[in-house]
Amino acid sequence: MKNLITCFFMFWVILFNAQNKQVLYGLEEVPQSMLLNPGSIINYDYHFGIPFLSQIHFNGGSSGVSVYDIFKESGGDINERIRNKIFELKNTDFFTATQQLDILNFGWKNKKDIYFSAGVYQEFDFILYFPKDLAILAWEGNANYIGKEFDLGEISTTGELLTVYHLGINKKITKELTLGVRGKIYSSMLSFRSTNNKGTFVTRTSETDNNIYEHIVNGADINVQTTGIASLEDLEGSQVMSEVLGRAFLGGNLGIGLDLGGTYEINEKWAASASFLDVGAIFYTKDVESYQVKGEYTLDGIELLFPPLGDGETTPPYYDDLIDEIEDTFPVDTLNNSYTKFRPVKFNASVKYNFGKEIGGDEACNCLKMGENQTFNQSVGFQYYNIFRPKGPQIAATLFYYRRFSDHISAKATYTLDSYSYSNLGLGLVANMGWVNFYITADNLQWYQNIAKAKSVSLQLGFNIIIDKE
Amino acid sequence: MKIKLNLFFSLIFVVLFFSACIKDTDFNQTDDILVTPIVELDFLFYNLNSESFTDFGVNNLILSDTTNFNFLNDDFVVDNLIRAEFFFKYTNSLPVDFITEYKFLDENNNPHYEVIIPVGAGTVATALIVEHIENIEGDDIIALTNAEKVVVNIMASAPVDNLEGNLKLQSKTTYYLIIEQ
Repeated sequence: MKNLITCFFMFWVILFNAQNKQVLYGLEEVPQSMLLNPGSIINYDYHFGIPFLSQIHFNGGSSGVSVYDIFKESGGDINERIRNKIFELKNTDFFTATQQLDILNFGWKNKKDIYFSAGVYQEFDFILYFPKDLAILAWEGNANYIGKEFDLGEISTTGELLTVYHLGINKKITKELTLGVRGKIYSSMLSFRSTNNKGTFVTRTSETDNNIYEHIVNGADINVQTTGIASLEDLEGSQVMSEVLGRAFLGGNLGIGLDLGGTYEINEKWAASASFLDVGAIFYTKDVESYQVKGEYTLDGIELLFPPLGDGETTPPYYDDLIDEIEDTFPVDTLNNSYTKFRPVKFNASVKYNFGKEIGGDEACNCLKMGENQTFNQSVGFQYYNIFRPKGPQIAATLFYYRRFSDHISAKATYTLDSYSYSNLGLGLVANMGWVNFYITADNLQWYQNIAKAKSVSLQLGFNIIIDKE
Repeated sequence: MKIKLNLFFSLIFVVLFFSACIKDTDFNQTDDILVTPIVELDFLFYNLNSESFTDFGVNNLILSDTTNFNFLNDDFVVDNLIRAEFFFKYTNSLPVDFITEYKFLDENNNPHYEVIIPVGAGTVATALIVEHIENIEGDDIIALTNAEKVVVNIMASAPVDNLEGNLKLQSKTTYYLIIEQ
């Protein structure tokens, strides 16, 4: 039990950070911003991401608790802190981890000024909602909660490891409007999901007066869907790895999806953009194994009957009968039915205002000219982000300031309000040295002095080759 | 000047980024984590009348029954149970005194713990209620968790034949667990 808790916390420390990439969104110098809005402004002719290094992204977080909250050096007994957190957290609080790795990413502009971009990336996505009632039950037991109905439906978690193959097109339709669309093929290597669970558990004073209490499981309906996991059970360690990697190359459960996006440059000062990502579904047909437990049961102890016994007769197997009865009441049904699941759709939108030094035209320093649309070296704006999760959307709102310092260096600072905190400071830095483009973005910087205090951290970095014929 | 500014800015960012650390935290505290649930669970119950005794013959004074209770010597319970408090509640409306016994035995029928509770006579009009709390901890808990069955004996002080009334038992156990590494 304690090992489990330790592993859980360590996992949470290592996999800092959520899916919002507020610093990267709209950072047009970085080709990977196209993955956040296929209709973003593109001011170059070719790009080629350094394989495996063009985007490394980690994001992990918890909405209600930081590592420091639990493991701080001073502040009394750790058990008391854990207990206080269990009661403080809500069943809508969650723990998430997301990781992405760009395997291949490249793009080119054709003669009709359509920018094509394509690539492959790998993604891991996990969310666990805090099952508050079960945590209380496990931590405290039922003794102080006679009559309280513990909600079994709070169990809600999903996880998926997949590769995504994508091809996008981007075109400036009019002077103001740029639109883009990206088609995706998902190849899911592993997935698990336990949502829409139901049922309660209560220990109450007996209403039948048979015994002191009644322990009642009412309307239980618990399910776990897995894909790609059942077939791994019989494999050795190294075989598991090669089997899973094999699925990365379109050998897993396949799905299709779309990203849609656009940018509208209202005038040289104002621009707005929006995108929908991962509008699609994965069709789980291979290696599907789902488990379902349904039932109702009332336990009130073991009733002794004192039956007259003849020679050689033994007493009734009360205990074994009870265990059998419980197992028969809650049979685990294993199903292999195919099913389809929609991807968690992400929505981004932004409005920005450009200002500062003009960097187009015949100004003395037109070395800053980035493209025909970036006519000022600074901008401020607002971004909105939304991801649809099992228990409803998670929303983030961001204010940002962007500044282009020179031909080589530009930066973006963000202030974000999200499910994790109301004070998330982010910073991104893009460096262009010749053809080489390097970027690094991170958030929750105010906690970098002590990451343990951060409830979430997001990090992306990568290298690209960018060629602009101008 | 401009280049210096860029350099300065980049340097600050990089230093800030790579100076990120985790401090004022002590992960060795995981060793101190103790999960201490207190679990209430029904135990045995029965409801007997004079026929329960006469089914064995006229003037029968003793009833006996046995149930497995493998829960007690389950590895998890053996490792983590530090105290068990049994609560027995009798409601006796039979006009007879009883001695009740609970013997906790291992698989070879060696006794490890015993509880004896006398129950006085009651009447149909006014049943006698007897409550008994058996608190088991320390070495006794080690003895108890060696057991995997319970023998229940009920001994009547006089024949129960053709008497009105019932001897009823309700019982529960409060298990105090400390779960550590």
